[in-house]
Amino acid sequence: MTTEGGVQYSKIAEIKGPLVVVDDVENAAFDELVEIETTEGERRLGKVLEVGNGKAIVQVFEGTTGLSISGTKAKFVGKVMEMPVSKEVLGRVFDGLGKPKDGLPDPIADKFVDINGEPMNPEQREYPKDFIQTGVSVIDGLMTLVRGQKLPIFSGSGMSHNLLAAQIARQASVVGTSDDFAVVFAAIGVQYSEAEYFRRSLEESGALKRSVLFLNTADDPAIERIITPRVALTVAEYLAFDLGMHVLVVITDMTNYAEALREISAAREEVPGRKGYPGYLYTDLSTLYERAGKLNGRKGSVTQVPILSMPSDDITHPIPDLTGYITEGQIVVGRDLFRQGVYPPINILMSLSRLMKDGIGEGSTRADHSEVSNQVYDAYSRAQEVRALAGIVGKAGLTEIDLKYLEVGDTFEKEFLTQATDENRTIEETLTLMWKIVSKLPKNEITKIKDKYVEQYYKEE
Amino acid sequence: MGQLHPLTSNSALESTIDKILTNTEKNIVSNIKSALDDSQQNLDDAIPKLDSEYDKIISDAKKEADKIEKQITGSSDIEARNKQLLALEEAVDRVFSTALDQIANADRSGDYSNLIKTLIEEAIQILGTSEISISTNTKDKDIVQSALSQFSGAELSSETINCLGGIKVKSKDGAMTFDNTIDARIERLKPLIRKEIAAKFGVGN
Amino acid sequence: MAAQGRIVWVSGPAVKADGMSDAKMYETVTVGNSKLVGEVIRLTGDVAFIQVYESTSGLKPGEPVIGTGNPLSVLLGPGIIGQLYDGIQRPLRELSKASGSFIGRGITTTAVDMTKKYHFVPTISNGDVVHPGFVLGTVQETDLIEHSIMVPPDHPGGVISNLVSEGDYDLETVLATVEKDGQSLPLKMYHKWPVRKPRPYNKRYDPTVPLLTGQRVIDTFFPIAKGGTGSIPGAFGTGKTVTLHQIAKWADSQVVVYIGCGERGNEMTEVLVEFPHLKDPRSGKPLMDRTVLVANTSNMPVAAREASIYTGVTIAEYYRDMGKDVVLVADSTSRWAESLREMSGRLEEMPAEEGYPSYLASRLAEFYERAGRVKATGSPDRDGSVTLIGAVSPSGGDFTEPVTTHTMRFIKTFWALDAKLAYSRHYPSINWMNSYSGYLADIAKWWSENISEDWFKIRSETYGILQREDTLKEIVRLLGPEALPDEEKLILEVARMVKIALLQQNSFDDVDTYCSPEKQFKLMKLCVDFYNKGQQALKEGASLSDIRELGVVSSLLKARMDVKDDEMPKLDQLDKDMQEQFKSISGVKVSN
Repeated sequence: MTTEGGVQYSKIAEIKGPLVVVDDVENAAFDELVEIETTEGERRLGKVLEVGNGKAIVQVFEGTTGLSISGTKAKFVGKVMEMPVSKEVLGRVFDGLGKPKDGLPDPIADKFVDINGEPMNPEQREYPKDFIQTGVSVIDGLMTLVRGQKLPIFSGSGMSHNLLAAQIARQASVVGTSDDFAVVFAAIGVQYSEAEYFRRSLEESGALKRSVLFLNTADDPAIERIITPRVALTVAEYLAFDLGMHVLVVITDMTNYAEALREISAAREEVPGRKGYPGYLYTDLSTLYERAGKLNGRKGSVTQVPILSMPSDDITHPIPDLTGYITEGQIVVGRDLFRQGVYPPINILMSLSRLMKDGIGEGSTRADHSEVSNQVYDAYSRAQEVRALAGIVGKAGLTEIDLKYLEVGDTFEKEFLTQATDENRTIEETLTLMWKIVSKLPKNEITKIKDKYVEQYYKEE
Repeated sequence: MGQLHPLTSNSALESTIDKILTNTEKNIVSNIKSALDDSQQNLDDAIPKLDSEYDKIISDAKKEADKIEKQITGSSDIEARNKQLLALEEAVDRVFSTALDQIANADRSGDYSNLIKTLIEEAIQILGTSEISISTNTKDKDIVQSALSQFSGAELSSETINCLGGIKVKSKDGAMTFDNTIDARIERLKPLIRKEIAAKFGVGN
Repeated sequence: MAAQGRIVWVSGPAVKADGMSDAKMYETVTVGNSKLVGEVIRLTGDVAFIQVYESTSGLKPGEPVIGTGNPLSVLLGPGIIGQLYDGIQRPLRELSKASGSFIGRGITTTAVDMTKKYHFVPTISNGDVVHPGFVLGTVQETDLIEHSIMVPPDHPGGVISNLVSEGDYDLETVLATVEKDGQSLPLKMYHKWPVRKPRPYNKRYDPTVPLLTGQRVIDTFFPIAKGGTGSIPGAFGTGKTVTLHQIAKWADSQVVVYIGCGERGNEMTEVLVEFPHLKDPRSGKPLMDRTVLVANTSNMPVAAREASIYTGVTIAEYYRDMGKDVVLVADSTSRWAESLREMSGRLEEMPAEEGYPSYLASRLAEFYERAGRVKATGSPDRDGSVTLIGAVSPSGGDFTEPVTTHTMRFIKTFWALDAKLAYSRHYPSINWMNSYSGYLADIAKWWSENISEDWFKIRSETYGILQREDTLKEIVRLLGPEALPDEEKLILEVARMVKIALLQQNSFDDVDTYCSPEKQFKLMKLCVDFYNKGQQALKEGASLSDIRELGVVSSLLKARMDVKDDEMPKLDQLDKDMQEQFKSISGVKVSN
């Protein structure tokens, strides 16, 4: 294909939003990479969204600002967009299109990989079931992350999700193996300070040499955001499936990604789905999230922790909604807890890890893990109901057992949930804390745990 | 392929580069070696630092010690690696500029006119029209002019361009351009060439 | 004459080609130099609008499009069971042989192994006259499936000759020829059938037999009948997939077709990993021996997602025609509807609500209409059924969105998943106030004949307690629980008991994951008896806390996990203990 590309066209029919329509195009392919040259000789990248009847619609990643109908040229490169990958990308910083941002040369490629990836064959997937210890009690205990999972953090503006993501990236470890671990971080339209916080946090913990960073900050071109997660995931897949590493991919903020997608859809005058987002938002998001996983016969894994800020904290907004339908659970950051100064402010009732059941138990964490976590959920859920009730009828209107649950709720938040950003708890420490909560309840309230575990771990104070 | 100029094929381009490589190899190997020495020195320097850190915190938790160890070795590892990358890039650049010099000053007699002919044929096929205008540099102007007789519809543009060699072809309506200069061809191959040069120095994968 | 055209336009999965005047609607075509599979979905002049089932990245105007002359069809014959197919019946295992861990393009495969030999036992003889649907003989497809080889529905029929004798044959062997009007037509172990065309049957029955799933909230409270239709809508995180997996595992059908339509890859992997190790509770054989998977995960090409539903239901109808009960689970019909929306958008059709095409409702109706309990065509007589269960993923968990509302018009059992229940870890999070079953009256007869005459009455009483609780909760919300008299507090207590002991079910617990009809009934009766005894005890002067503290309470709450299906006497013992314990508290108070 390389030999066929390379023709530059100078007949621009239309420029609208992020799109350039090129006329009299004879030889262009769907999805092909395009080099746009401005009057001043500046080069920008784009790709073909639609081609036919002598026209090609090109989406320009760096935006169309400054382009003119007469002076702009479009060169169809003859291949799809590729990312050069090699082991040397570790410890490097790239921009949102995968170009070096650290003053070092382009990585010398082991190979060039189509950034769109290909769908994993479900038959070739290996079911994820290896526990990742994040050292954060609420996650390890109640919404366990496993290798190859995609578990997003649903947050809202201004909350401490990045603090949490950085803590996970620093502390995450796979207990009981010597396999290599790597972190791929993709910043999409976030403030420079947030991206910098993340970088420094990796550096200070010595994790930078096993990390790759892709930074598209708030002042970078919006359309570039379509590419950023794709180059990041391409590198992650290479590290995982070619080099056998366990890769944790942190992407923040997916809301900015979806907005860039909406901008393109609007410029193409497509029929919108909900809230102006394109009808294919679900499918598009899935082509990113489904790139997490493990494969039969290969050592590595890609685990994704995408972060998104829910507009107005609304979990039914299309971005969190469609994300939740694709990902294997969600970690929800709660505004109430955040206001109370709790860190990490995770609303456990709305949070869930679908793959937890297979990652815990005898041989990986501990045999009683599943049941004690069910009981903690149940207890905290009751505690929340009682709190709501107490708000109306006052503590006097509560039964004795209700008051016990109030106490459980407080212990849960103060001793178990609350944790310092540099506090790395082992799974044993976490389980001990969970039993401490359960032990606040009288034995006949414990309906989710088998008697043998109650006998072993229940400790009345 | 026999009658074509050696520079049309990638393997010929490689062999040119190979030749240059042998000349500059020694030079570069020593460069790389000194970069490696540097990095070793860095690591050596780091070790006493590490030891003293250990002493200071020996009573602290093991977690803390691990963290600091990672931090120190991590950043010195990275520094060393980055120095190596820069040294390598410098070497690659040197190979490239030597190669480009040689190509720019290559002999224009004999096969070169065949090369130009092939480049024009290729451009006509890709653009899908023979109504074309061709630009080239001052050096190759006459060779292109003499090749034109075989291509009806093709004309030589009065403007010359700045390039190592080869041609740039435009459809007469001005809508399409195809850059078939030696520069553009090398540019397209550059990532692959870089990989090969790096491999010769035993770096990369 | 097959159409031969050229691509003139490409945008995502949509391609236009001209020179296609010979193409037919819904004909499959090969697209481009890499021979991608596509289907004609609109014809205008000589321009065909094609949906392409594979990624179109790199496709160019000018590349060829060639018609196959055939509509999109599936291959029906032994070897289907146990397979994992993509949306157009390509075995994913075969694809991986061609392209490794990731799915490549333009790969041709056959749906089943054509060279595998099956032991064929003829059930007819030379000289017999056959018509469409007649059974020629059988082969053992898996340990669980005896596969009938049938005369295809579109075959003209005629007189059998050259019938092979009992023995091992592969799929391409001519088993017999049929003579009619001087023509001789071969019959093989397989035939093809277009996916968009329902397979014919002789007559339809009313669904009166329950499909037992071993899930209490389904079987006891909101049952579905064999040949019925059901829908399970729910926001993400409400446990839709787990519930569907439970149905696929434990439903008392002979064949299960599980369609992962635009869902997660790991979920299909989970089924693939888990089902071969799970034993069918009735036969003791691996569940994979009765299961077919159709997987078109969310990141696989969107057009093939649209086709996957039809591929699945056609396979289901084929096994129905052998006289089997088939359950088809489609997860999720919303993603299927979205693929319709996406293609409709590219066709620039006038959209209806939320961008969905105006024919969404009729497509949903056509799909659910393919459910039913039927008498198959041909001889011998065979009764089979296709039960259709579709998941719906309403955006934002809002049940008023188009896919949910339209689906509700065409189904009879509605299992409404509730995010609030899921948040409080009440699983399955089927809301007992919003769900309904239109089969309750039809299948009550089965329960009274097979389990207990009292079934309908006890079920109504149990449901009554839940309804009372629902009203009382409002009062509690305003005034607190202490404002209620003891009789009403007892209702809250027993309702909680019903929720924990009956409605909740732990699918990850070895015992609780499946519950026999008998156990379901006994647990339910224990709750109702507890309620009646409790009310009586209150009348006789016992206090509510006496009742709450009875030892039997905690045994009852854990009985679903502690008592195995073959340990029913334990529940009878629990019943006795309950009687005794109530006697003790009533006795004390009376003597005071």
